[in-house]
Amino acid sequence: MSRIAEIYLPSKAKVIDVIEMTPDSKLFMVMPEMPFKYKPGQFVMFSLWGVGEVPISIASTFGVQKHIELCVRRVGHVTSAIHRLKTGDDIGIRGPFGNAFPITNARGKDTLFVAGGVGIAPLRYLINEVIKNKKDFRRIELIYGSRNPSEILFMDDINSWQKKGINVVLTVDRKDKDWRGNTGIVTEHLNKAKVSFKDAHAFICGPSVMIKAVMQDISQLGMYEENIFTTLESHMKCGVGKCGHCYADGKYICIDGPVFSYREIRQYNLNCTP
Amino acid sequence: MNKIPTICPYCGCGCGLYLHVEDGNLTGVSPIRSHPVNKGTLCVKGWNSFEFIQHHERLKYPLIKVNGEFKRASWGEAIALIASKLTGIKRSYRPDSIAIMSSAKCTNEENYLMMKFARAVIGTNNIDHCARLCHSSTVGGLAETFGSGAMTNSISEIVSAKVLFVIGSNTTEQHPMIGMHMLDAVNRGAILIVADPRKTQISDFAHIHLRHRCGTDVVLLDSIMNVIINEGFVDIPFIRRRTENFDAFEKVILRYPPDVAEKITGVSSQDIKKAARIYAIEKRAMLFYSMGITQHITGVDNVHACANLCMLTAHIGQPMTGLNPLRGQNNVQGACDMGALPDVYSGYQKVSESDIKKKFEHLWRRRLPSRPGLTLTEMFDSILDGKIKAMYIMGENPLMSDPDVSHVKEALKKLEFLVVQDIFMSETAEFAHVVLPAATFAEKDGTFTNTERRVQKIRQAIEPVGESMPDWKIICALSKKMGYNMEYRATHEIMEEVALITPSYRGILHHRLDSNFGLQWPCHDLNHQGTPFLHRKKFTKGLGTFIPVDYIPPAEETDKRFPFLLTTGRIYFRYHTATMCQRTSTLEREYPECYAEINPKDADSLGIKGNSMMRVSSRRGSIIVRAQVTDKVPEGTIFIPFHFREASANLLTNPAVDPSAKIPEYKVCAVKIELVESKRDQKD
Amino acid sequence: MNKGMVLEKSKLSYWLRQLRKEMSLIGPMRGENSDIVFKTVENIHEIVLDCPASIPSPKEFLFPQKEKMFRYSKDGVENLRGNKGRLIFGVRSCDISAITLLDRFYGGKFVDDYYMSRRNNTIFISIGCNNPDITCFCIGLGSGPFLSSGFDIQLSDLGDRYLVEIGSKHGLEIIKDFIHLFSRPKKLDYDDQYEAILSSQARFEKRINLENARQKILSGQVNDSFWEVVAQRCFECGGCVYECPLCTCFNVIDRPYSPTDGVRLRVWDTCLFKGFTKMAGNIWPAEKKIMRTKRWYFHKLIYYPEQFGKFGCVGCGRCTITCPGRIDMATIASKIDMGDRRRKGGGG
Repeated sequence: MSRIAEIYLPSKAKVIDVIEMTPDSKLFMVMPEMPFKYKPGQFVMFSLWGVGEVPISIASTFGVQKHIELCVRRVGHVTSAIHRLKTGDDIGIRGPFGNAFPITNARGKDTLFVAGGVGIAPLRYLINEVIKNKKDFRRIELIYGSRNPSEILFMDDINSWQKKGINVVLTVDRKDKDWRGNTGIVTEHLNKAKVSFKDAHAFICGPSVMIKAVMQDISQLGMYEENIFTTLESHMKCGVGKCGHCYADGKYICIDGPVFSYREIRQYNLNCTP
Repeated sequence: MNKIPTICPYCGCGCGLYLHVEDGNLTGVSPIRSHPVNKGTLCVKGWNSFEFIQHHERLKYPLIKVNGEFKRASWGEAIALIASKLTGIKRSYRPDSIAIMSSAKCTNEENYLMMKFARAVIGTNNIDHCARLCHSSTVGGLAETFGSGAMTNSISEIVSAKVLFVIGSNTTEQHPMIGMHMLDAVNRGAILIVADPRKTQISDFAHIHLRHRCGTDVVLLDSIMNVIINEGFVDIPFIRRRTENFDAFEKVILRYPPDVAEKITGVSSQDIKKAARIYAIEKRAMLFYSMGITQHITGVDNVHACANLCMLTAHIGQPMTGLNPLRGQNNVQGACDMGALPDVYSGYQKVSESDIKKKFEHLWRRRLPSRPGLTLTEMFDSILDGKIKAMYIMGENPLMSDPDVSHVKEALKKLEFLVVQDIFMSETAEFAHVVLPAATFAEKDGTFTNTERRVQKIRQAIEPVGESMPDWKIICALSKKMGYNMEYRATHEIMEEVALITPSYRGILHHRLDSNFGLQWPCHDLNHQGTPFLHRKKFTKGLGTFIPVDYIPPAEETDKRFPFLLTTGRIYFRYHTATMCQRTSTLEREYPECYAEINPKDADSLGIKGNSMMRVSSRRGSIIVRAQVTDKVPEGTIFIPFHFREASANLLTNPAVDPSAKIPEYKVCAVKIELVESKRDQKD
Repeated sequence: MNKGMVLEKSKLSYWLRQLRKEMSLIGPMRGENSDIVFKTVENIHEIVLDCPASIPSPKEFLFPQKEKMFRYSKDGVENLRGNKGRLIFGVRSCDISAITLLDRFYGGKFVDDYYMSRRNNTIFISIGCNNPDITCFCIGLGSGPFLSSGFDIQLSDLGDRYLVEIGSKHGLEIIKDFIHLFSRPKKLDYDDQYEAILSSQARFEKRINLENARQKILSGQVNDSFWEVVAQRCFECGGCVYECPLCTCFNVIDRPYSPTDGVRLRVWDTCLFKGFTKMAGNIWPAEKKIMRTKRWYFHKLIYYPEQFGKFGCVGCGRCTITCPGRIDMATIASKIDMGDRRRKGGGG
């Protein structure tokens, strides 16, 4: 009998560094014992012995370094336990799972990224990938909103993206005394994007309320629903379409997604506003 | 893979289920299809009742507290220590300085042994259990009126009833499989009357929902009887032949016409009249009640009023016709039957009657105390008064379940010696000097008696985890160490002793319980087939007694400082102090934290939105809970479930008790509510 | 495959006894009173055939209610996958139809190794139903009372003998060593089987048309007020899911024995609980009961056909027995179907 892959068995990984990004977000550098290839938008199941498993999207770019980077916001029981991890701790990892952001069709077009809060993390690889093949794309723009200036994540990346020629609009909900930039939520700044909406692709990631508002607004600005993409979150236990928790209206977030177009979200009535 | 038939350990329905066992592991549960109560169904707790049994947090060996910390001990050490401490305390003070809490979660055999241990070994009547907190008003109240404090009918009769009157019972959530029979009856055309201040699932199906103010049950029931008397629906021949004291009762009833009741209860006089007529006219009418009736300072009065209503209309002593208190715990009926109460031996035989005492002395070969002991609620006061020095708690968690828990905590700390025997390290066990690991229902044999008096067998499916032992074996070992031999090789031998000395259990022996899902007591001899409904030709006590009841307002009413009524209760996915279900993943997940139901109008006036945190305070304490804005609760009333350790509703509740039953008033106290500003942004 | 053989009834227990030497034998046995439960067969003569549906369905042998997945420790992870060889005797056609679908569900791109390992080591001997239970409605769904494919071995009770049909390699394996027990079928045997099928089909009391219900839902004829009433009756016991031979959801929990050692388990879960979709940060995507009850029916009536070309229901009737709110598939589907006839032209 042929050997069956052990899809539920996490493989060992080590935390090699922890960076505190904001009061409730940390970036974990994780070295898997068995390295794997992954694509932008995919996620892993992050396993903590005795506590449980949660899906976390990969924030690093494949091929840049051996470890993977996972940005974890502390919201619940498992993520709180993850936040207590220190350098050197062992964890379990399964994956990568899920589909990826489709960028092939975006080639030759304008590309708009819209991120809110930790939502920048899953887009990071994608932005790097697009910049790497910059000549294949027309205008590349990023609109990124944070709660306050100290919570802007990956500032080094943002600076380097800007140097490589992408137009970045930063905005904060609440400014501090040093902030000279934009304020307000991202939807108020969508008009600053100099993309031609009718012929552009958008990739959105952030809190669900923001995602919904941005998708609505940019489709009203003329972008086709099938060119607007986002990644959805859900309660998940397996990551491989078996446990049923993320199943909604005929689709599994974990294997049919987590990346969906606005068209699919509307067609399947997917729940992006939990 | 084997499937062992047994009885669900959660509520008083007593559903039959199979435990699935493979290689010594429990792998699942399934319902018994032919069982008369659940008929192939189970509630969510039953379906998940296998998960906590082999949980990693189970107590696996005895623990002795040394310098404030628990140290693992052998059974020999633990039993020797308990025996010497209890003997010492008994000698240096007196037997009555020791109090014992038995358990409605344990088997009949274990409750019988525990009460024998208290009376014959320790020499005290200070034995009680949590029935004090749920149905002591029933046990006492119905003893005075009918002579027997139990459900008069059987669960399987419900479906053929024509009128169901449910008062103070959230049946579909708390006795789900009885709720199922009720909905089936409604499907078949029965009329359902529900009296409950809260909207519940069962009230959604009610033809008449009477939402009376908390604590006004007597007025509501008296006025219903007022209508019945005034409109001539009284069964006069029945009253003449089978009851007494009608005239005195009638005088009181005449003081509660529906228009007076409307002012006090908030229920329209039209609805009162409608309910009265429907209930009175139909012969096959069943009355059900639960904690909403019993947990008041007027608990016994409420029970009397229910009994009066049944006698007034002759709705008693027939199939599908009677008065049915729904008992809470899986074996609370049995624990009462076995005499785990301060004033009676098994079968409600009074300790104060010398003939009965002699009978037990003869059987047990010990002199027994004749004065009734302390009730559970009195025990904690007596600890603080210095009268009780040691306590032995089997399978109960008073630190979560009793009213005004800070008071209980203070008492537990003051004890010279506390033994807790449980399956998990409960809140109460933390305070113990010795903790003994007990076996669960899946690891032992014995019997449970469900709410319809059905004595059913539970069967061992797996070996006890770790070194844990069935409670009855622990009691035997301790008893022996204290110089009193309790020799039983198996639980059926204990039952033989129960049958020998308990008239209502005389025909109940283990081998008779194997077929047809047990026997319903009273069962007078080995040929008796049990009793599906009670009081057929005459009441257990002879004539039924009308006991007039007048309205007494709750002990604590709202005022300017505490303008809201708090009523407490349970939720479907949790059970009691949550010792078992918080170790069951799907149950725990459903309600991860405590909440309070508040009416939208009240929430508006306080600036509270759904999910806001609010501080609820009474004169005794204060907790922070999440608001659930809903019209399930009427204006001016909030509801909080009592299962949660972090926000224990019983920090707030009033320890005021019914003067005779000593049941606390969990269902009403006055509170104030404040909005707690959230620290974190309400983003997303 | 589907080769036929004939086995005299008197030889059945001999055959089973021989097979039991190789693998553990599970079959329908008496439980309490009139109950039938599947458990390890100690005495072959205690097997009860032609019985009402067992509770729960035999999916428990492939996907147990509680299953240890693996042990973790400092030394790494050890898979605790079960792979005991088992022969399950006396399974009904509807359950075999369900298992055929489960194979597709747990297979696919990601193969559930716990299910598949058990499945590969389990052989089913099913038996066509001569006497369907009052709750059965497989007849409208092609999942019973007799099957033409999908089984390992199918027995048809022809009175004094069984027609034995072999449907898989697994099935052939347990016959080939005992070929001397069987005889070649004659035309009469097939004729008798045909008679048995016809007479069984005539015995069904329930005719439920799931396709009509599906069409009505798809064309928007079933509005939320209908589902509100359904939800109101739901007791949230999860019984329909636990008993359904086609419900597959599970929860994963850890049991730590020490900070570094423990076991990860999976247990049956159900979409009828609001905690099923709960997300960290107090987010409850399916807080209203109607969303959850609807989800269960939609999954079985709408999404299953989209994904697998078949309904997520084989008509076993178990939810009819186990639903305390009486909102089982048969009741609801026929309400949807009949409802239209009553309010002709009314629409939603």
